[in-house]
This record gives sequence, C-alpha cells and structure tokens, in this order.
Amino acid sequence: MSETKIVIERTYRASVQELWELWTTKEGFESWWGPVGFRVDVQEMDSRVGGALRYDMIADAPDVIAEMKKMGQPLSHKTSGTFSEVVPERRLTLTHLIDFLPGVKPYESTIVMELFPSGNSVRVVVTLSPMHNPEFSEMQKQGFTSQLTKLDKRFAR
Amino acid sequence: MQLAAFQILADPVRRHILEALRNGERPVGAIVKRARIHQSGVSRHLRILQESGFVSVRPDGQRRLYSLRPEPFQEMEEWLAQYRAVWEARLDRLGDALKRRRKHAKRTNRSLGNE
Repeated sequence: MSETKIVIERTYRASVQELWELWTTKEGFESWWGPVGFRVDVQEMDSRVGGALRYDMIADAPDVIAEMKKMGQPLSHKTSGTFSEVVPERRLTLTHLIDFLPGVKPYESTIVMELFPSGNSVRVVVTLSPMHNPEFSEMQKQGFTSQLTKLDKRFAR
Repeated sequence: MQLAAFQILADPVRRHILEALRNGERPVGAIVKRARIHQSGVSRHLRILQESGFVSVRPDGQRRLYSLRPEPFQEMEEWLAQYRAVWEARLDRLGDALKRRRKHAKRTNRSLGNE
C-alpha cells in the first residue's frame, strides 16, 4: 500500500559523523533544532532504540515572543519523543508525541532521517508524516494522499 | 478550511466517487459502476461533495454530469506545502550549525597546533 509522506532532501559538505552528532547529542541538537525563532533546551536525550527525548521548545526571537504573547500562548512548551529506530550514522526515526495543540487529541508524528554519504558530502533525507488529525491519518493509511499530486497534474493541463 | 476537506475525504465511499471522476466527467450511473459501490447513498455523498466544493454538476439533456473541481485539492497541497517550508527552514539551520561547528573545530585545531 502506498503511503505518501513529505520527503525533503539536502546535501551538505560534511561527514556522516558530524551530521549524526547534530541529531543525537544534546549539544548538537540544541545547535539547530526547532522552527525559526525558537530554541530548544534538552533535558533528556537517550539516542538508543526506545530511548527518550525530552526538551523545551522556547520562543527565542523578539517577534515570535511578541506573537506568542499576543495569542496568549506560553513562551515555552515541553516536548517529548522517542528514538524508535536507531542505526548509527545511517538512519534514525524520531517519534514525537504531539499533545500541545489546543483542541487536538494527542497524536504521534514521526520523522525519519537517513544519511547517504558520497565523497566528501552527505545527502540527508528527511521523511515526515504530518498526521494532524484522525481523518488525515486514515487517508494516509489508505494511500489517498499520493493521489493528490496526480490530480494536480490533471488540472495543470 | 483544509481540515474540513480532509474530513470530507475521510469517507471511503466519497473517495471512491472522486476516484471514479479522475478521468473526466461522468453521469451517476457510470460513477456507481466505476466506483463499485451501491447506488444507495451515492446521491447523498455526491451532494456532500458538491456542497464542499469537490465536485461540480451540469445538466446534459436528461442526465446530470459530475466532475472534479481543483480548488480543494490545491488547498490540501498548500497545507502539505507548509510542512515542507518549515522543514526547508530547519535544514537551513542544520547547515548553519554544521558551518559553525567546522569553523570552531578549525580554530580549536589551530590553537592546539600552536601549543
């Protein structure tokens, strides 16, 4: 059954070790993780299969802080996840529990990160499953989202 | 708005109907046949699809022809694109973090070498 996910790729001039550290060490993770305008403060990171990941996502940029205040949102929220798959320097699956969206039932979201070294660069492939709600998850299970693109092509003519 | 679209599509019968319309407009009879669903309920689902903007209908003599409308699909694409944009920005940050590390490592190596 085909299940469409969002796949994003990027090639960096770096070694797999460097990239792996950015995803699996406290210091590395804190140096880049989170959306623009936020920083993270890692409390627990056990990058073994089944290991826990706990961090605070903290609004960091003045405009983001102002925006969060305006919306009455806290400036920091606790986030937790699990390393559900760990193949050192090759592949990592992070499962996050999304339980902080108001009015949305808690759900799990997975991020798969794969490293493909080639010469002195590494291709990083990130695969997202944005399961935002039960309806979307159900559609994904049934492989419907893959058809969206095909439909789009039809309309493009 | 996009979430409403996903709710519409959560129903398997409605998905079958949309699939039956993928290759162009069809009368109800052809939809029922192609979608391999029972006639019962089809008109109700077609009405829901029409009201939510997925499907449009036009008369053709005695029959009514149904076809897909692109707007809700484009909206869903846009919704998915938001996730992509967020992650493109995150990967920029990952790249910046790598550069900083490299610079730092170089500096450390140099200072170690001087000692």
